[in-house]
Amino acid sequence: MANASDNSSGTGSSTPLALNIRELTFRYGTGFELRLNALQLARGEEMLLMGKSGCGKSTLLQLIAGLIDPGAGSITVGGQDMHALRGAARDHFRGRSVGMVFQTFNLLQGFSARENVLVAMLMSDMPKQEWHARADALLRSLGIERLDARAEELSVGQQQRVAIARALACRPTLVLADEPTASLDPDNAVIAVRILRDACREQGAALLVVSHDPSLEAHFARRERLDALHASSAAMSGATS
Amino acid sequence: MSDLLIVLRSLRLRLFSTIVVIVLVAVSAGLLLAILSLREAGERAFTRGTGNAHLLVSKDGSPLVSVLNGIFYANPPKAPIDEAKLNELRDSFPWSMFVPTAIGDSYRSFPVVATNADFFAKFQPVAGEPWVFAEGKPFAANFEIVLGSAVARETGIRLGAKLVLTHGSGKSREGVDEHAHEHREYEFTVVGILEATGAPHDRACFTDLESSWLLHAHDRYEREGTTRHVTVKDLTAADRVVTGVLMRVPSRDNMSASPVLVAQYDRLRRDGSLTVALPANEVQRLFDIVASIDVLFIAIAGATVVSSAVAILLSMVNSMSERRRQVAILRVLGATRARIFWLVLTESTMIGLAGSASGVLVALMVLAFATQWMRVAHGLVIVPVLDARSAVFVAMATTVLAALAGLVPSILAYRTSVARNLRPLG
Repeated sequence: MANASDNSSGTGSSTPLALNIRELTFRYGTGFELRLNALQLARGEEMLLMGKSGCGKSTLLQLIAGLIDPGAGSITVGGQDMHALRGAARDHFRGRSVGMVFQTFNLLQGFSARENVLVAMLMSDMPKQEWHARADALLRSLGIERLDARAEELSVGQQQRVAIARALACRPTLVLADEPTASLDPDNAVIAVRILRDACREQGAALLVVSHDPSLEAHFARRERLDALHASSAAMSGATS
Repeated sequence: MSDLLIVLRSLRLRLFSTIVVIVLVAVSAGLLLAILSLREAGERAFTRGTGNAHLLVSKDGSPLVSVLNGIFYANPPKAPIDEAKLNELRDSFPWSMFVPTAIGDSYRSFPVVATNADFFAKFQPVAGEPWVFAEGKPFAANFEIVLGSAVARETGIRLGAKLVLTHGSGKSREGVDEHAHEHREYEFTVVGILEATGAPHDRACFTDLESSWLLHAHDRYEREGTTRHVTVKDLTAADRVVTGVLMRVPSRDNMSASPVLVAQYDRLRRDGSLTVALPANEVQRLFDIVASIDVLFIAIAGATVVSSAVAILLSMVNSMSERRRQVAILRVLGATRARIFWLVLTESTMIGLAGSASGVLVALMVLAFATQWMRVAHGLVIVPVLDARSAVFVAMATTVLAALAGLVPSILAYRTSVARNLRPLG
């Protein structure tokens, strides 16, 4: 199923790109149109995508994760065209290939830290015998010791780390982080970004962080502005997300 | 980690509403189950209780009252049959069983049946099942008494114990009548204790007719101002009264609808001073009368089960805003729409299962209360047995209804927009 055109990371290798977006168009009901000519992310690469609020950052992540469909263009993750998949096939692919970290973490309330990570594994095709060992190792590597504490009993920083562990649980090709520091104070924001980058690097996952926080720019070698990637910024007449 | 654990966590997250809905389901399922079981138990108790008597003759107001009083000991019959009429009845046909009974006294609110030796020899408390003595033997002399199994069990009285009987049922409107007249002048000796029959006779005591007549003759002499030790010789025709007669016609095939029986029934009914009942038919009539009320009760209980399913639906729909976020998270993690649908449907089904399981406990409590009340208020004995078929039926119906109630929230969850429900995203 791999798209032959994605078999390039720019290094001459045959390994598919972690993310490859081409000629993407998405039109909102309000008339606003999100356009993206091209965006590539190699395996294990990190990138910060900046943009002011309402410029379509969240929409772009939802498109990449296959939660909404584009009007035109293609998005491949690990060489697989996400939108060529339908229904359950796309859900399964998302579960094992894309990890997501949210601004509000979106942990499952009432579930323990360990269970939050295990749920992600349950939804993937990861062999069951690996689940507990991997969940515990991931959480411990991120400094979570109270594995059985419920999500709501953890501090904000701990919840953030559980969310990172969950995003990495199924060894995804790509981790999408949506304003991961927006709920944190500046000191904890720095720590969170470092933890997120380290964890992705350790697990070999590409990382795409979207944020409007300029203080994150110092942490990423590759930085882009979403409005600069737009083919037509003049089309941005409305607000979104 | 499993889908079941996700469902359990979801239920725990909404613990209060989960418990309230389960209690609602349990109460409604329990009521329905109790009503069905009571109907079964009642029918069984009444059908068993008629015994092997073909006919019951009394002077009660109606055949049904006659059976309720004379066989089920609901109340002491009011009008007696005098000795002359009794002899006339006895001599009118070669009965295969002719057992006169006099019901009116009691011991600790348990009715005392005064009768003759044929009561144990020929009358069977359940057709085809003769009396069995757990201890002792039938009464053979005056002032000997035999106790039903429940009387012995509840009073703890053993063979050889001495009892004093109470005039009347020993009950007043307020309960046990402490001022009821006791026949202290004559003591009865317990000579036998019966095995349980599952019929009303388990809650009765049995003595000979002469002893009962002597007690009342003594009272009569006292009222007349004569204090004396009454013996059998002192009994007059006015004393020798009974309240009913259990009879059987000769029948080779043990059929209750034999032509001989029909002929005797018709002959006896022509005597306007008597009430003649075919016990088995009267019990059937009783069930025909209560059948419509029965259906009404079952319909009401069924409606409460349906309303509890609606409660499940409302509870789950009301929690949809909270649930949508959970659904969206699971979808992001790779859960398919179908899996989400089944998770929510499993949740409602589990509420139904928990409710119907708790409903069995509720039914047992209702049964215990209802049977106690029937015994105390009406003297009717129903053995409280949870009907297994009804239990399975109610549990399945409740669970299916709960699952159906979960369809709407399951569809809503299925159609949940992931993108919209993960906000704020940035």
